[in-house]
Amino acid sequence: MKPFRFGLFVPGESPLHRLDPRVKILSVVVLGVLTFQASAEAAILITLLLAGLTGLSRLRPRHLLDALRPLMVFAALLFLIHLFFTDGEAPVSLSAGPFRITREGLRQGGIVVWQFFALVSMGVLLTMTTGPSDLVAALEKILSPLKILRVPTQDLAVMVSLALRFLPTFLEEMEKLKTARLARGADWRRGGAVHRVKTAASLVVPLLLGAARRADDLAEAMEARGYARGPRTGLRELRMAGSDYAALAFVAGFSGLVLVSGLL
Amino acid sequence: MIVLDGVSFRYGEDGPDVLRGVDLRLREGEYVALAGHNGCGKSTLLKHLNALLVPTEGTVTVDGLDTRDSSLQRGIRRAVGMVFQNPDHQIVGMTVEEDVAFGPGNLALPPREVRECVREALARVGLEGYESRAPHTLSGGEKRLVSIAGVLAMKPRFIALDEPTAYLDPVSRRRVLDLIVGLHRQGMGILHVTHSIGNIVDADRLVVMERGSIALDDRPEAACAALASGRFPGLEAPPVATLMAELKSLGWGVNPNVLSIREACREIDACLARRPGERP
Ligand SMILES: Nc1ncnc2c1ncn2[C@@H]1O[C@H](COP(=O)(O)OP(=O)(O)O)[C@@H](O)[C@H]1O
Ligand SMILES: [Mg+2]
Repeated sequence: MKPFRFGLFVPGESPLHRLDPRVKILSVVVLGVLTFQASAEAAILITLLLAGLTGLSRLRPRHLLDALRPLMVFAALLFLIHLFFTDGEAPVSLSAGPFRITREGLRQGGIVVWQFFALVSMGVLLTMTTGPSDLVAALEKILSPLKILRVPTQDLAVMVSLALRFLPTFLEEMEKLKTARLARGADWRRGGAVHRVKTAASLVVPLLLGAARRADDLAEAMEARGYARGPRTGLRELRMAGSDYAALAFVAGFSGLVLVSGLL
Repeated sequence: MIVLDGVSFRYGEDGPDVLRGVDLRLREGEYVALAGHNGCGKSTLLKHLNALLVPTEGTVTVDGLDTRDSSLQRGIRRAVGMVFQNPDHQIVGMTVEEDVAFGPGNLALPPREVRECVREALARVGLEGYESRAPHTLSGGEKRLVSIAGVLAMKPRFIALDEPTAYLDPVSRRRVLDLIVGLHRQGMGILHVTHSIGNIVDADRLVVMERGSIALDDRPEAACAALASGRFPGLEAPPVATLMAELKSLGWGVNPNVLSIREACREIDACLARRPGERP
């Protein structure tokens, strides 16, 4: 299950780890929006901030890079699309075929790739310093005003954590089934379309049946353990400390700075 | 006390009777083992103990509370914990501690108490230090212990376990069995569904089911002697019971109602003492 190391929680005691998860989520949202508005000066500010936060998180930079590496191809693609398909003036007369490399394309590609990596880094910093249960608890709290609109935020939170709980199990089962099918000589890289669809179905159908059976059992087990409508509690209570308010104030100040730098 | 009185049950309107006229009592602090062939209705019976299923005919009461009364079900489920057959289908938390906290959280206990329940339950099953492990990284035996801890965290007075030792290696099996015996010693009422009768020498009673009804309900020694005599083909008695039954059928004057090797040796020794000439 190697590919799923991406952005996984790394337990720790850093200031970033200890921050209230609601503050972290809120900050990611605010900084994410800023990233799309950023001037060149602001881009530098945000980049510096991210570098600072990475230091503060005490995560090994290698871990962060490992998380970003699988996205390189995607970033390169983003860059090329903008490079070739942005209208503008060609710096060198290099118009080969329908593609034209333009000065604007170069600039646009650079910006988009920076935005992409800035956003992903924020997300990865969030998920690597926040346990999944804290993340879900924080989301529930942030969404709780929606209760007025009769949105079952508590059930939603339970559903999200169930999904996260069973994702690795699901992937393991898929791997097992695939191996079993291969051992019996199935090969979906060969044969006609009908054959391929059939082999794929032989994989998907048992997976879905298994998932449905599990969902039934799960509902029963949750009922047996007292799950019902009504108030629930958990292991932790989210409570804002002085440092959390300080972090919020800092994010507000930083946002102001970025907006001002854009006006200059 | 849990009392099943003439319980019959069908899945769906015109399905077959899965349970037929079951009478069963589980007293406070009693350890009852339940055995029977696949599909005879053991799991179905178990789900009646905490109102997951309610009888089509007859009644089930927990401390006098009728499981059919939906306003009482919350309390009934708190009193009777249920450990299901497949731990993979009952662990709901992203981490071990999160899972064990699910039950106490549903009771809306304050977080400090939830943490206390979790700590206590993990200690009881011997899984301290596993708090932040993800369920899919655990071994089969550890998953089983987590699923038991999740039930213990709600502090039930009865616990029903559906084949808790199935698919476990011998070491984990021993661990789970020792845990069950320990819970029994601490006064927990236990209903233990099992396939291997060798597991239940510590039980107070052994109940055998056949096609939805109770065919045998006796002290383990007597029940195993009945199994050893071949009354229930396919259900294997523990080797000691089989040996004693065999000796008896060969004309030895031994008491076949023993389950431990030590007791069996004593019986054989006494028998030999009565026939001094044949003693080696
Ligand atoms: N959810 C269900 N719907 C319909 N029939 C079921 C259901 N669960 C079990 N049965 C049937 O009830 C009978 C008893 O099943 P079960 O209680 O699981 O037996 P055991 O646990 O002793 O193996 C079986 O014939 C089974 O097919
Ligand atoms: Mg069963």
